[in-house]
Amino acid sequence: MPSLALLAQSLASGIFIGALYGLLGLGLSLAWGLLGQINLAHFALALLGAYLTYQLGTAGLDPLATLAIVLPAFFVFGAALHWLFARFAVSAFNSLLVTFGLTVIIEAAIQWIWSADFRRLESHYADIRYRVGTLYIPLPELLTLALAVALSLALWAALRYTDFGKALRASAEDASMAQAFGVNAKALALLLSGISAALAGVAGLCIALSYTLAPSQIYAWVGVVFAVVMLGGLGSALGPLIAGIVIGVSEALTMAFTAPSWAPLVSFSLLIALLLLRPEKI
Amino acid sequence: MLEVDRVRVSYGAAAAIVDVSLTIGDRELVCVVGPNGAGKTTLINALAGLHRIDSGALRLDGRDVSRLAPHRYCDHGIAIVPEGRRLFTGMTVRENLELGAYRRAARAKRARSLERVCALFPVLAERLEARAGALSGGQQQMVAIGRALMAEPRLLLLDEPSLGLAPLIVTALFETIRTIAASGVTMLLVEQNVALALEVASRAYVLEEGRIAAQGAPAELRRRPEIRRAYLGLTEEAR
Repeated sequence: MPSLALLAQSLASGIFIGALYGLLGLGLSLAWGLLGQINLAHFALALLGAYLTYQLGTAGLDPLATLAIVLPAFFVFGAALHWLFARFAVSAFNSLLVTFGLTVIIEAAIQWIWSADFRRLESHYADIRYRVGTLYIPLPELLTLALAVALSLALWAALRYTDFGKALRASAEDASMAQAFGVNAKALALLLSGISAALAGVAGLCIALSYTLAPSQIYAWVGVVFAVVMLGGLGSALGPLIAGIVIGVSEALTMAFTAPSWAPLVSFSLLIALLLLRPEKI
Repeated sequence: MLEVDRVRVSYGAAAAIVDVSLTIGDRELVCVVGPNGAGKTTLINALAGLHRIDSGALRLDGRDVSRLAPHRYCDHGIAIVPEGRRLFTGMTVRENLELGAYRRAARAKRARSLERVCALFPVLAERLEARAGALSGGQQQMVAIGRALMAEPRLLLLDEPSLGLAPLIVTALFETIRTIAASGVTMLLVEQNVALALEVASRAYVLEEGRIAAQGAPAELRRRPEIRRAYLGLTEEAR
């Protein structure tokens, strides 16, 4: 039987990794649910963002300040990607294929620029940790949680309460009908695709602060984040965060009580259970 | 107010409407009748910017709108109640209505327009927070009409509003259409229920195989033997 301290430690680390899942899933879920675009390259983009943060951070820029460069660049990239998808009428399934190709290209580019060696951002943030009871909580993880919660809540509120959000949801259901009432559906789609890519940039920052980087890391979270997106509901802004924390905590507890290798079983069991019990939610 | 001038619309190689010309005067209620597949929905969708026209012109107060981007049509006061309603079913009734008032000129008057729609359809006032998809067919049609009215239209396009509704509800619906027309909104009504459409309209066009086959005042059309045979007799039997 694990000690109470271990239990608390697992819970905390589950919440923190869950926040990262949620942050990675947020942009993916919005683009998928509202634009019908399954952007597999979201993960490659996040890791590219992490490498850019690493590069700029190593050059002396404060990691948080790198967002000022990464976010606009990624926004433009995301908008351009959607413009191409719209221009060539790429279906949801084909978007999966195209963005898989893009993933491979980004991975090769990362390997070419930064090599396959491990890279680690040395920042003063990594040394700061807070003591809560018997736990030590590193600042980077706390920052990930704070960003995930703030961004999910902000986007949830924007989708639910603003004209922009209502117009987006309406165009997701019936774009030409939304247009008939004055919604510039094409412009909104570009905007959302840009936001979604920028969210990958934010996730990249969090990855750079907490993890050692290697190109293959792109694929480390694909499975679990897809499970998170589906559990959370496509197009939902709060869903990925909640599902991410649920999966993160159950993974961490599984690791504590059994062996680390059992952890992936949890997320996929949850996903299969959902598919069996509530297929209409997907 | 609206002048449709020799308009042609096609789907790929197949022409859906050819050389269609019609006019609608200020505050008129004009109806277009015709069999299924005659191109009525194509015509009304082209007027709302949902479908591009190949040639011809759509002139609103003398200005051709047919080259505008789809989301710009409503700026000119055109609003549509489409066939099959096409509500945003995952959103609430209130959100559907608010979206109707999305265009800038209508947004400022949104609160007042909402009150007006609720006065016209009191049953909607009680269901504002319900999901639009959860409403009955008749109530959904009210939301579709309400959504279009929220846009403060000068020209309201109604496509088969009676489709799939119970006879009693259809009667109430046409009462509402009369009320809206009386309030000064110009309307174009496409309807399969020819007898009913001729009752409310001030003028009518008959569309057959993508072309205007006949036009005139309802009383005059009702007297024509071929129209009695093709539309009035059959529709009464079918119902």
